Amino acid sequence: MVIVMQKAAAEEKIEHVMAELTRRGFDVHRSTGADQTVLGVVGDVATVDPREFELLDGVQEVVRVSEPYKLSSRTFRPENTVVQVNGCGIGGKEVVVMAGPCTIENETQLFETARAVARAGAKVLRGGAYKPRTSPYSFQGMGVAGLDLLRAAGREFGMATVSEVMEISQIDAVAQRVDILQIGARNMQNFNLLSAVGQTRKPVLLKRGLSATVQEWLLAAEYIMAGGNYQVILCERGIRTFETYTRNTLDISAIPVVHKLSHLPIIVDPSHATGLRDKVMPMARASVAAGADGLLIEVHIDPDKALCDGPQSLYPEQFVELMDELRIIVPAVRRTLR
Amino acid sequence: MTDARYAIPEERAPRELARLRDAIDHVDEVLVRLLNQRARYAVEVGQIKGVMQLPIYSPEREKEVLANAERWSEGPLAPAAVRRLFERIIDESRRVEREASAEREA
Repeated sequence: MVIVMQKAAAEEKIEHVMAELTRRGFDVHRSTGADQTVLGVVGDVATVDPREFELLDGVQEVVRVSEPYKLSSRTFRPENTVVQVNGCGIGGKEVVVMAGPCTIENETQLFETARAVARAGAKVLRGGAYKPRTSPYSFQGMGVAGLDLLRAAGREFGMATVSEVMEISQIDAVAQRVDILQIGARNMQNFNLLSAVGQTRKPVLLKRGLSATVQEWLLAAEYIMAGGNYQVILCERGIRTFETYTRNTLDISAIPVVHKLSHLPIIVDPSHATGLRDKVMPMARASVAAGADGLLIEVHIDPDKALCDGPQSLYPEQFVELMDELRIIVPAVRRTLR
Repeated sequence: MTDARYAIPEERAPRELARLRDAIDHVDEVLVRLLNQRARYAVEVGQIKGVMQLPIYSPEREKEVLANAERWSEGPLAPAAVRRLFERIIDESRRVEREASAEREA
């Protein structure tokens, strides 16, 4: 249920409504907009008569949210959520490009890649320290030592950082060193992990599950937000279809769908979606044209020697070329990119 | 469009005028953003010219830029009109290159 307060409703009226809701055992999530405050009410609202609340002083209207997800729904919060990280807003006017190697391998590999992507205009450095590999014999990641390198490289080149957490025990180590916690596609419905990152106050980048519907994805975001962490960035990375040429089918339509259903920012990972380097650039261009709030792109200083996902990693010079192309597309969709 | 078949009826004219003006505003926004992007590249070119100890004014390159612009224009702007517009753009690029390199030296 959503309670829309009257325009310029006095603070004491808002507080009075919130107190009443809390007294009746509901969770209240306040969102103060530019000209209107909206109160999201979660709990057993099925038995409540919305008219009771419409009579309260300062209330403009009470709306039932028919979607199963509430906090992530646009009904709950009409204005876009802009996640602020290191001076750039994800979900605002600027298209934010995140780039870096799939896996942190060593200092030289990470710093050289970071230098190249920062120079080309990436604002966030990605790099995996804990890797969910299909085979237990594949390289499993550098762990905490890798996270320390990532933090150092982010500082050196003025970039924010993002890295994956695979299980609850890793959250502290990652949250202490990295700006954005990533939940991988395979963990999108690991509800304990989602609730645990919901207890932090770090932005969370939530990848779409391999066969998750948009509704299931938004419900996963709901788990994080229910803990009071509203800083969720959705990331489309392709879904399983009958097509086998590409690893996954990138669901470009998810961008306008999410923007309609939710206020959360959505970015696109064209690297994992296709698994093929030469498909990354066209898919990245299409994503930005379709309104993506950002991109997550794998770049490796020497993809042929990469320990993980080499075939889908761009060469640094390809990344530069992509950024130049995006700078021509971005103004046409009324966005900015530096 | 001057084709009589596409003439706008008088009652729709005001709305059509508003639409076209919005379209022009959008093109202007894109143009300004792209011109600034062009200027950012020019500043970087200036930096590289500094490293390579090349002069900021490079007449051969300017000829090439103007020839490209004329060649790409499919009208209704005449090649000479495109050339005149690009001469101004190049003037401003040279200025921003020079200002940026003066700042670096200061």
